[in-house]
Amino acid sequence: MPPVVEAIDLHRTYRTTTGTFRRRSLEVEAVRGVSFAIEEGELFGLLGPNGAGKTTTIKMLITLLIPTAGQALVLGHDVVDDAHWVRERIGYVFGGDRGLYERLSALDNLRYFAELYGVEPRRQRARIGELLELVGLESREKERVEGYSRGMRQRLHIARGLLHDPPVLFLDEPTIGVDPVGARELRQTIFGLKAAGKTVLLTTHYMFEADALCDRIAVVTRGKIVAEGTPRDLKARVSDGVVVEIEVYGIENGKVESLRAIDGVTSVAVEDRDQAQVVVVQAEAGREPTHDVLARLDGVSLGRVTTREPTLEDAYVALVTEEPVAVDG
Amino acid sequence: MSPRIYIPTMLGAPLFQILFFTYLGRYAGSQDDAFFIVGNAIQVAAMSGIYGMTMGIANERQYGTLQPLLATPANRFAIFSGRALPYVANGLAVSAFGFAVSWLLLDFRPAEGSVPALALAVLVTTCSCVSLGMLIGSIGLRARDVFFGANLVYFLMLLVCGVNVASDDLPGWLAAIGSGLPLTHGIEAAREIVSGSALGDVAGLLWTEALIGVLYATAAYVLFRVFESEGRRRASLETY
Repeated sequence: MPPVVEAIDLHRTYRTTTGTFRRRSLEVEAVRGVSFAIEEGELFGLLGPNGAGKTTTIKMLITLLIPTAGQALVLGHDVVDDAHWVRERIGYVFGGDRGLYERLSALDNLRYFAELYGVEPRRQRARIGELLELVGLESREKERVEGYSRGMRQRLHIARGLLHDPPVLFLDEPTIGVDPVGARELRQTIFGLKAAGKTVLLTTHYMFEADALCDRIAVVTRGKIVAEGTPRDLKARVSDGVVVEIEVYGIENGKVESLRAIDGVTSVAVEDRDQAQVVVVQAEAGREPTHDVLARLDGVSLGRVTTREPTLEDAYVALVTEEPVAVDG
Repeated sequence: MSPRIYIPTMLGAPLFQILFFTYLGRYAGSQDDAFFIVGNAIQVAAMSGIYGMTMGIANERQYGTLQPLLATPANRFAIFSGRALPYVANGLAVSAFGFAVSWLLLDFRPAEGSVPALALAVLVTTCSCVSLGMLIGSIGLRARDVFFGANLVYFLMLLVCGVNVASDDLPGWLAAIGSGLPLTHGIEAAREIVSGSALGDVAGLLWTEALIGVLYATAAYVLFRVFESEGRRRASLETY
């Protein structure tokens, strides 16, 4: 059976200009050869930091952007050549506050989009009722959207994407900015979609979310997939390494770069924590990089130094901060 | 739009515009009251058509609803033309209000039996103004600060479309601009209707007004499709 969604060496370049009088044209490669395939009923995650190319990839798949090169297929149809056919069979949900008619009620937003998606008039009322119940907005559907919380808006986005009961759903960071309780409810809703047999592509930059929901994950950074596999595959990548965390007070980029050069170090990341920064150094199994790291931080004001086993988040950080590595799965 | 915004914007401002120009006209003594009442009561419908329609399309982008809209399989012409209906209805209501208060406060009395033909003239003119609003709104899908353009066109129309200054009294080049804009022929037809002309006598003017509307609407739709296509190609749907 052919994949439901297939990205084949997708590229997308943006052209921007800078300067007022001396205008210079710049080309930014947002997506640089992304390929993956999603099978029927699968929940596939595109995981990556902001600016990694996740949204650009999803926009190409939902027909809103034309790839600069490569091909994207949904249910076997090319998203450029058969855009209308594809639009009839996909749902699109994106994160954030925008994208809804603020002065209309949730009910009117859904009625309008039900018309646009060609939901039969006699079916509309029942369908909208079902979806309002599914996303938990059935008691507030007559209120204007401008008074909704972010979580409620997000749930309304999901209801809108499901109006025409599409077999394929694209969810672009649906829990972004939503409080923990709301995000948990949204994840339950998304999990319910998979249980209902939908094929789902989810983009997120929350590792735990991808881990909890996805059958398979592709980690994207700088426009490329740097790892792909099941959450278990990705965890296995770092399960036998070591992580050293050093609290520092002001560190120059040169020092950070020098840490990367230590033999056996696989990644170095710097996180801000209150007044201090924490340098997180990951090393291969069997290495003990603490001595070398401290030697190279000579002259830097240091705080606490700890050594621990790596977590899934470390795997993600390693993948998105380092140069591309071999692809799994 | 809530009543507290609608009443001053769509009823208050048109009312004072009609009163202002009618009293100014009486003071200047250049034309009779009906000239100013008809001109301004129809011109106020343009406000709904131009600003409303400009906002209706350009705001899709500002509020982030353009992408969800374009991700649907809906017929683009249906999306586009469907937007126009509320603004046409509102334009008719505002214009009717303008004529009603003129009847009450300014002793405006159209020729007997002329109201249906006058309503038709207002409808055609409102539609053509909405078409111009569509065009400006479509430009707003690509250009920043399109409301400056809407303001410019609105006041240009106040000057060159024969609202308060007869086209014959304008310099030739301004009159030529006016003849290519909505409103001019509709107002001329409406003036003739209220002074007793039959619908058949002004049919040419109304057809011209309708044709101008169709041309602007076509240009607007073509531009909308071009920007949609360009947006997919150049990733400009959400950027200016």
